[in-house]
Amino acid sequence: MLRYTLKRLGSTIPTLIAVLTVIFVIIRIAPGDPAIAILGDNASQQAIDALRDRLGLNEPLLEQYWYFLTDALTGNLGNSLVSGRSVLNEVLEVLPHTLDLTIASIIIGVIVGIPVGILAAVYRNGPVDYVARITSLLGLSFPSFYTAILLILAFAIHFPWFPVISNANLSDPGDRLYNLVLPALSLGLIMVAYVARTTRASMIEALGADYIRTARAKGAPALVVIARHGFRNAIIPVITVIGLYLGILIGNSVIIEIVFNRPGLGKLIVGALEQRDYTMLQGLMVIYAFFIVLTNLVTDLAYGMSDPRVKYQ
Amino acid sequence: MRKFLTHAGTGLALALCVSYGSIDAVRAETAVNVGLKAKDATALDPHLSTKSGDKPIFALLFNGLVRFKPGSMSPANLEPDLAESWEVSPDGKVWTFKLRKGVKFHHGYGELTADDVVYSLTRAGDPKRSSVSSDYSQFEKVEAVDPHTVRITLKTPVPSLLGLVANYHGGNIVSKKAAEELGEGFKQKPVGTGPFMFKDYKAKQGITLAANPDYFRGKPKIDKLDFKFVPSDSSRELAFKKGELDIFTGKREEKWVQRIGQDGDLTVDVFEPGELRTLHLNTKVKPLDDIRVRKAIAHALNRDDFIKLVGDSVTRKSWSPVPNGYLGHTGDLPKYEHDLDKAKALMKEAGHENGFKMNAIITKRSALLRPMQVIQAQLKKIGIDLELDVVEHSAFHAQIRKDLSPMVLYGAARFPVADTYLTQFYHGNSRVGTPTAVTNFNHCDMADAEIDNARKEPDAAKQKELWAAAQRKLMENVCSIPLFEQLQVWARRNSVDYGYTLEGALSLGPLFTEVSAKK
Repeated sequence: MLRYTLKRLGSTIPTLIAVLTVIFVIIRIAPGDPAIAILGDNASQQAIDALRDRLGLNEPLLEQYWYFLTDALTGNLGNSLVSGRSVLNEVLEVLPHTLDLTIASIIIGVIVGIPVGILAAVYRNGPVDYVARITSLLGLSFPSFYTAILLILAFAIHFPWFPVISNANLSDPGDRLYNLVLPALSLGLIMVAYVARTTRASMIEALGADYIRTARAKGAPALVVIARHGFRNAIIPVITVIGLYLGILIGNSVIIEIVFNRPGLGKLIVGALEQRDYTMLQGLMVIYAFFIVLTNLVTDLAYGMSDPRVKYQ
Repeated sequence: MRKFLTHAGTGLALALCVSYGSIDAVRAETAVNVGLKAKDATALDPHLSTKSGDKPIFALLFNGLVRFKPGSMSPANLEPDLAESWEVSPDGKVWTFKLRKGVKFHHGYGELTADDVVYSLTRAGDPKRSSVSSDYSQFEKVEAVDPHTVRITLKTPVPSLLGLVANYHGGNIVSKKAAEELGEGFKQKPVGTGPFMFKDYKAKQGITLAANPDYFRGKPKIDKLDFKFVPSDSSRELAFKKGELDIFTGKREEKWVQRIGQDGDLTVDVFEPGELRTLHLNTKVKPLDDIRVRKAIAHALNRDDFIKLVGDSVTRKSWSPVPNGYLGHTGDLPKYEHDLDKAKALMKEAGHENGFKMNAIITKRSALLRPMQVIQAQLKKIGIDLELDVVEHSAFHAQIRKDLSPMVLYGAARFPVADTYLTQFYHGNSRVGTPTAVTNFNHCDMADAEIDNARKEPDAAKQKELWAAAQRKLMENVCSIPLFEQLQVWARRNSVDYGYTLEGALSLGPLFTEVSAKK
C-alpha cells in the first residue's frame, strides 16, 4: 500500500506541470494588468510602467515561465504580485478557515445523509422515504448562496444567535465553531442531499441482493442485516460521491465565503483572478491541483478499507 | 466584633476603591466598526494607491501641510494642518511654510521636521514611487530652510499649489525615517502623524486603527476603528442591521437610500464629490472623427434617463467636462439638449442615414455597465448599433488604456480644481497610447494652450477665464459628453457623531477626527 501511495504521488508530477503550463499561459492571455489593479484606476502610465518593471512583468515570457516552473517544482511559490507577501503564507493563513468549512460540511453530510439514506431505502416508498426524497431534492435545487441568505435572515437577524460577518479568531476554538455554524450548514445541507440520495440508491441495490435474503433466512437480526451485510456493501458509491464532492466544495465555498465574508481559499482564488495576481493564482492552482490529486488518492485508499476485495498494485 | 466590623468596613471600602479605580482604568473602549466596500487593501501608501477603498484610511493616518476643513472638499476652505503659516513670493514661485512644532509621528518615529516634508514631497513627485507624480511636475525643488521651515520653489507659478500640499494623495506627509527603514514594507505598516495610527492588518479581512494619543489636536475620543472589508452590498447591510457595523459604504442608488432610510436608528449621508460619468469619443477614428456624428450622439443621449436609472437625490445632470463645484468649473458652454430629430438630421448630413455599427469595451461593474446599456439603447434610436464587449474591471482599464475602445464611459472624482480634470482627460500629453499617457481617451488637444496658460496664470480671475475657455472649446468640439454626477453614500448609526457636518470628503468616506464620538 505504501508503494502504491508513492507511485500515485509520483505520477502527479506530470499532471502538475501540465496544470502549471496551462494556467501560466491562460492568465497571461486574459486581458488585464496587475499594476493597474494595485495602483488604482487613476494612476499615471509612468507609475504603472515603473511598477510593471519592478514586478518583473516586462521580462521575456519564456524567462518568466522558466523561473516560475523551476521555483514551483522546488516548492517555492514566490510572492504575491499584489500584496508582496509570500503566497504560501497567504494560503496557510486562510487554509484553516477552508478546512474548517470543508470538514464541517462533510461531517454534517455524513452524519445526517447516511442515516437518512438508509432509512429511506429500508422503508422504501413509505412516508419516511418520500419525506427524505423531497427534502433532498429541495436541498439539491436550492443554490447554496440562497440557503446561506435564508440562514442569515433566520439565525443572525431574526434570532440574533450567530454573526453575519464570520471572521473567526483562529486561536479561539469556541469563536471558530461559533463562526462556522451557519456557513457549514449552508454547504452541509447540500452535502446531506447528495449523500442521502446516493446512500438510498446504493442501499436499495444492496438490500435486493441474494446474500441479504440468505442472511435474513438464516435468522440474522434486521439491524445486523442492514448494517453489516447491506451498508458495508453499499458504501463504495457513497465514498466516491464524498470524494468527488470534496473538490467541488472548494468551488462552492467561494460563494459562501462571499456571503458570510469569511476568509478562505475560494475567495483568495477569485480575488487573485480579478486583480490579475499571476503569482498568487499560479501558486493557488498548484496547491489546488495537488489537493485534488490527494483527495482522489485518499478516496481510493478508503475503498480498500471498506471493501477487503479491493487490492492495490 | 467591633474590631471585625471596622476591619470589614475598611476592607469593603478598599475593595470598592480598587474596583472603582479599575473600572475607570478600563473605561469601556470606544470602538467603531466600519464596513468598507473593498476586498482588500494591498498598498497602504498614500503616494502609491489611488484605490477608493484605501482613501478613507489615508485620511486618518496622515496629514498634509494644509487640510480641507473636515466635512468639506472645497479648495476655498483649506486651513493650516502641519504648517502653521505660509507666505508666497510676489512672483508666485517661492512658497515658504512654517511647520507646527512638537508634532510626533506614530510608533515612536520621532518628531516631524522639515526633512520629512522635503522627503515626502520629493517622493510624491517621483514617478517610480508615486502614482500622482505628474501633479508635481512644476516643482523645481523642495528644501529645508531650518528644521521647521520648508521652501518650495516652482518652475512656473501654480496658483492652486496649496491643493498639492493638502491632505490628499501626494500631499500626505510620511515619516522619512519609517519610509527609508521599512522600504517596500512601508505600504504594509504606514507611519504618519494623523489622529489614528495603524495597528493591525488581516489580509482580506480588515484593518484596525488605534487612536493616536499624541495627536497634535488632542487624543481622539474614539479609541479604535475597525475597518472590515465587506465587498458584498447585502452583507454590509445585514451586518449593520445585526449591529456588527456602525457605519458602512452604502449603495449609490436612490431606491436603496429610501429603503434603508426607513429603518429608524440610522442616518444616510449623501455627500460630495460627485463622480462625473463622461462618455469620451475618440475624435481620431472613423466615424467619430466627423464632428456631425459626435453632435448627433450628443443630441441622442437623454440625461433624464440616467437620472431615472440612479435616482434624483444621489445624482445630478452634468454638461461641463469639469464637475460641479470644482474651482474653475463653468456652466457657460454649448449644451446639446436631447433632440432626436436634430440627431437624425446630423447623421443624415454626415452620410450615415442608415446608421452604423460600432464596438465599445465596458467593465462588468454595474456602476458603469448599466449607464452604458442606457447609452446603447439611446443610440439605437438614431441607428447606431453599439456592440458592448463586457469585460472584468481590471481588463477594462488595461484595454481602454491601450486605446482599444472608440467610446469610453469613465467615472471619476479628482482633486477639485479644473486643472487636474482638464489635464488628465483633455490635454494632448495625456492621450492614451503615448508614453506620458494618463486618461485622455478622446485624443483632443485643442485646449492645450488654455490649460497650460491657466496653470501659469497668477491672476485668479484670468485663470478662471482660461479654464472656462478650455471647457467651451472642448464642448464645441464634442470631445466628450458629460452625462451625470453620482454622489457618495454612507450610512451610520445615529450614535456615531462625526463632530462636523459631512458635506464633502475627498477621501470618499467620512473622516474621523479627534472630536468624532460614539455615544
